[in-house]
Amino acid sequence: MNEPAKPSRPHGPAAYVLALGASIILGGLAGIGSAFLGDQPGPVGIALTAAMISAAMAGGTAGCIWWWRGIDEAAREAHKWAWWWGGTGGMALGAVVLLTLMFRPDENLLTSALGSSPADTFFAGMMSIVLFQLAGYALAWAGWWLKHR
Amino acid sequence: MNNRLKVLRAERNWSQADLAEQLGVSRQTVNALETGRYDPSLPLAFKIARVFGHPIESIFTED
Repeated sequence: MNEPAKPSRPHGPAAYVLALGASIILGGLAGIGSAFLGDQPGPVGIALTAAMISAAMAGGTAGCIWWWRGIDEAAREAHKWAWWWGGTGGMALGAVVLLTLMFRPDENLLTSALGSSPADTFFAGMMSIVLFQLAGYALAWAGWWLKHR
Repeated sequence: MNNRLKVLRAERNWSQADLAEQLGVSRQTVNALETGRYDPSLPLAFKIARVFGHPIESIFTED
């Protein structure tokens, strides 16, 4: 069994505020860098944009690992349960909405604010699913703690 | 699973936060353990046993 030599203290609110601030700064830097460096045309611009987004994602992943190591086993269980049941449920609900829109293209159910290019449509679909997943995840997470308090 | 965590903690006049500090978990987790709504992992169960100085089977019992 892997047991730490001495009890570690779970992250407190200050740690989360710090992580939020670091995430905002990191995202801002990646956005600024992408705006300046990714403005170049052709493969170089695409590569630089991908590099900046990759750096932001790597930073986000490192933050997630730090956060995961700082929460205790019940908190981890809540997140695992919520991601599976809430995330999956949210994704299923989102798929119903997206598939309905996809199979009924002539009804003009989609607002033009989402954009009309293939990239806009792809991004809107992807983000819609993510938002449905996150909504389900948040509800399931809150439900887990309400049930276990 | 049933447990005697609340009784053992009360005998020592520890708050949930005190026990949480010794176990390296959050107070919410201690509360979930005490109410029997969350069963600990084996490493945490061993740690609880060590903190209270009792064998695991005297702290946790089957329903």
